[in-house]
Amino acid sequence: MKIKAKEKKGVVEVKMLLDSPMIGKEESETRKAEVEFITHITAKINGKLVWEASTGPFLSKNPYFMFTTTQGKKGDEIVIETVDNKGETNSDKDKIK
Amino acid sequence: MQRRKFLSLSAAAAAVASVLPASLSATDFRATAPKAWEAPTSQEAIEALFGSAETIDGQIEIKAPKLAENGGAVPIGIKSKVDLATVALFQDANPRSAVVVMELPEGSVVDLMTKIKMRKTANVTVVAKGRDGKLYSAVQKVEVSIGGCGG
Repeated sequence: MKIKAKEKKGVVEVKMLLDSPMIGKEESETRKAEVEFITHITAKINGKLVWEASTGPFLSKNPYFMFTTTQGKKGDEIVIETVDNKGETNSDKDKIK
Repeated sequence: MQRRKFLSLSAAAAAVASVLPASLSATDFRATAPKAWEAPTSQEAIEALFGSAETIDGQIEIKAPKLAENGGAVPIGIKSKVDLATVALFQDANPRSAVVVMELPEGSVVDLMTKIKMRKTANVTVVAKGRDGKLYSAVQKVEVSIGGCGG
């Protein structure tokens, strides 16, 4: 997973690129691959929840998200966690620049 | 016997709780509104998720290409000046309509972007619930020249 967080005039812009093939039911049949997609994503700055998403398999492969918040400043730590349909979790962190 | 049973039950419950990731403390719309994720059309999914399809137009801006060359990753931007709490994205190009439901705590700026898969030309619908309790929506048609759903 890749995270980029930048603060400009009190607004933090967070971009993330997650790792998942995002294969839904129909795609798993045509591509002969297992169903695997991220179901939930949370983003926290200094432990405080700033964004979250419940997701389905129709996001692009290796999903991309961008969101903005006023709840952070330069040097704060941002942690992003994902959960997939099998319950596997993944997380990564970065410092806001 | 009763007590022993109770103790083993609570021990099992504690074990389950410790396994669950911390992120589940937040709202998981897949758990709270499972019907919305199975609905084939945007209309049905919106009703299942928000309980109503009566929305206010013109407050949300969708930034999407009119013609998407690659249906595997169609960028969808969502902007609004309204203080939104829940933003949901739907499309009619795939077997099921719901794509993502985002939750924005207080202090968020409604300037979002994601990429979705579309296997054919269809409407993309954004429905959002403001912190004022009202529902807002926007629709944009996206033409897809090459489908991107494994097809």
